[in-house]
Amino acid sequence: MSGSGLPPAGVLGRPVDLDLSRAWLVDPASGRQGPGEIVVRAGVVEAVTWLDGAAADGIDDQGIVVTPGFLDLHAHLREPGDAAAETIASGLAAAAHGGFTSVCAMANTEPPIDTAAAVLAAAVAAAASGSPVRLLVHGAVTAGRGGERLAALGEMADAGVAGFSDDGAPVAAATLLRSALAYAGALGIPVVEHPEDPSSTAGAEASEGLIATVLGLRAWPGSAEETAVARDLAILRDVVRDVPSARLHLTHLSTAPALDLVRRAKAEGLPVTCDVTPHHVALSDEWVAGARRFAWQALDGEGRRRDPWRDAALDAAPFDTATRVNPPLRSPEDAAACLAALVDGTVDAVATDHAPHGEVDKAVEFGLAANGISGIETALGLLLAAVDAGRLSLLRAIEALTVGPARIVAGGPARPGLLEGQPADLVVFDRAERWAVGPDSLLSRGRNTPLLGRELAGRVLLTVAGGRLAYEAAG
Amino acid sequence: MIDTTPVIPSGRDVVRSPMVATAWRHRHLLDTDVLAWPEIALVLSGAARMAEVVTGTRERPGTLRGVGVTTLFYEASTRTRVSFEVAARLLGADVVTVAAAASSVAKGESLLDTIRTLEALGARMLVMRHATSGAPYLVAGHFGGSVLNAGDGRHAHPTQALLDLYTLWRHIGAGDLGPFLAGRKIAILGDVLHSRVARSNLWTLTAAGAEVWVCGPPTLLDGFAAWAAAGVDGGRPFRVTTDIAAAVRDADAVMALRLQRERMTAGLLPSPAEYAARYGLTRERLALAAPGALVLHPGPMNEGLEIAPDVANGPQSVVTEQVANGVAVRMAILELLDAARGRA
Repeated sequence: MSGSGLPPAGVLGRPVDLDLSRAWLVDPASGRQGPGEIVVRAGVVEAVTWLDGAAADGIDDQGIVVTPGFLDLHAHLREPGDAAAETIASGLAAAAHGGFTSVCAMANTEPPIDTAAAVLAAAVAAAASGSPVRLLVHGAVTAGRGGERLAALGEMADAGVAGFSDDGAPVAAATLLRSALAYAGALGIPVVEHPEDPSSTAGAEASEGLIATVLGLRAWPGSAEETAVARDLAILRDVVRDVPSARLHLTHLSTAPALDLVRRAKAEGLPVTCDVTPHHVALSDEWVAGARRFAWQALDGEGRRRDPWRDAALDAAPFDTATRVNPPLRSPEDAAACLAALVDGTVDAVATDHAPHGEVDKAVEFGLAANGISGIETALGLLLAAVDAGRLSLLRAIEALTVGPARIVAGGPARPGLLEGQPADLVVFDRAERWAVGPDSLLSRGRNTPLLGRELAGRVLLTVAGGRLAYEAAG
Repeated sequence: MIDTTPVIPSGRDVVRSPMVATAWRHRHLLDTDVLAWPEIALVLSGAARMAEVVTGTRERPGTLRGVGVTTLFYEASTRTRVSFEVAARLLGADVVTVAAAASSVAKGESLLDTIRTLEALGARMLVMRHATSGAPYLVAGHFGGSVLNAGDGRHAHPTQALLDLYTLWRHIGAGDLGPFLAGRKIAILGDVLHSRVARSNLWTLTAAGAEVWVCGPPTLLDGFAAWAAAGVDGGRPFRVTTDIAAAVRDADAVMALRLQRERMTAGLLPSPAEYAARYGLTRERLALAAPGALVLHPGPMNEGLEIAPDVANGPQSVVTEQVANGVAVRMAILELLDAARGRA
């Protein structure tokens, strides 16, 4: 990286000095991208200069790219309770490796984060980690995530939670979801709902369709998500009559009909937002059978799924538990719908649903394996794959990782952007450089990704959070 | 550090046919989906040879002498387990039976712990049955020997499908080592959704050229229409119907599947009586099939439910023959896998 202006190997958390004279800058807040220069002194952005004319010659978006730091609305950091899978320290390190400078930790820890004390304990662990990555916390909606009564929402709001979520499970009781939306709405905090009808998914293993049928896996119907989204939206519609500040965020949507419901609800003016994960955009259920091609490669000219057996596309062994996730990897058609909804703005943000697991939960039978993909370090690479395939613009991808999620929760950077005079909060990656996803390259304790052994584009070189060094690539 | 390499006695007087040495590529048999027709034909011809060993007209070959064959069944099964054990013994193997009740699972012993233990105890070929689809694939990734899938969840039961095919071959195709079911219609009746037998048979029967019809109540065919349209292996379509008369009409063989009584409590079917009335293989329905059509069942049968007693035990039934053929087919497969492992 000589000549790039990147700083020499340094200490995590120290103020960063940076002088990038020929880079591709992406600033989604202003909708601007192009050749430019950025200078950071002692952690503060001193100058952002957009280049044109001869000065811009030879600089394109295929090389060094600088964008605002990413914000993940949805990550499982497993602390307290499962240090074999992840800790706040390892999770924040992994986040920084993925280009994230702010991370919302989910509440389904053991015990759950359902009190102000638990929220503050997470903040203490984040401070102790030495990472400058911002830890935001989602508090549980219901006490103990038990689904029976409201958790201490006001107390947790005072402690600074980003949202309320029982993620891992929906708020199954309609009356309770209604209360939560109203109560949290008055606090100015969104309810982050995991839309799933549990009566449709008991024992389910793989998305309903050709792959589940052939492999003999118990089918996970799309209707489990669609009915839950429809219910959540209907309840929201009732709540906003009395509490206009109520806000619902639907996380990890995975089916075309569910996204259509959100599209219509937004047109109607309901205060709803949603996210998709990188794996539901770029992968599909044929990965469970052993295919290892991107979802858009699994579609024919009419947008219908191709048969991976006919294509002889099954490169890996079937039943890899790293492909088991909730919601399940869906059909290539559903993945295309996730991507289309990301492009058209129905989807507000890409969230990773980073779900690290230890061997004890994954090196088991497929039917007994925990759901989840360790994904915070591969999110950028999967989105860049969609960009490289011509399915997504680089600007929109970065927007969905930065200003999109920042509009949904409080506590991130005030305004994600490359802003002079502000502490630098940015990521530098090399579009052209591919990196191998492997046990040695991942900083998460969770190695449960079906991308192990594959290469992704866009190696992160540097992540700066709040002006301080969060991640720096070796070499 | 314990040396987990089992000792294989030297001086094994193994004579392997050159055909076996070249055409069979698999160390494990996890499903029939990976078998090309020449490999299926090897099983058929091998089983014909082994059938003579079973009946005592040919000397026991001793090809597995000193080889540790372990049966590990997480689901109760007498017929398949004993069939494998008899097959292994007839080949001279050292057979170990593990009664893997839910106890080891309850004690928190993982499947992979168990496999490592069994390998350290000398298992070179592992015959396993498990209630969850895909479990043998996990094991195959961690076991130094050969894994034989004796049934995994709803997914696959490859030796059953091969013994079914061999049974059909004895009656319909004997002597013809090509895809001998071309132009023949085979009906599979019953609980297709939950059936590993149906799934594995779809691969082998369509590979043999058969026109396959699967039939059952709509709740037990969920998802199969899409597979039928796409075709097995992306190109061998089959038929799906809820009309049992259409499925059986002019069939050359009819295979009834076992119906578990828990399908009623799961809300998939109204009652056993209604099932027997609408989907049972009765003499009247069998009369729609081609004259002399064969009746198969993977067993154990619920007589009076999915199959009428006079059909189950009638002149067209080859159910007991299937059981006998199972030993010969499993002997052939054990020998092929052992030879492939020896070459690896």
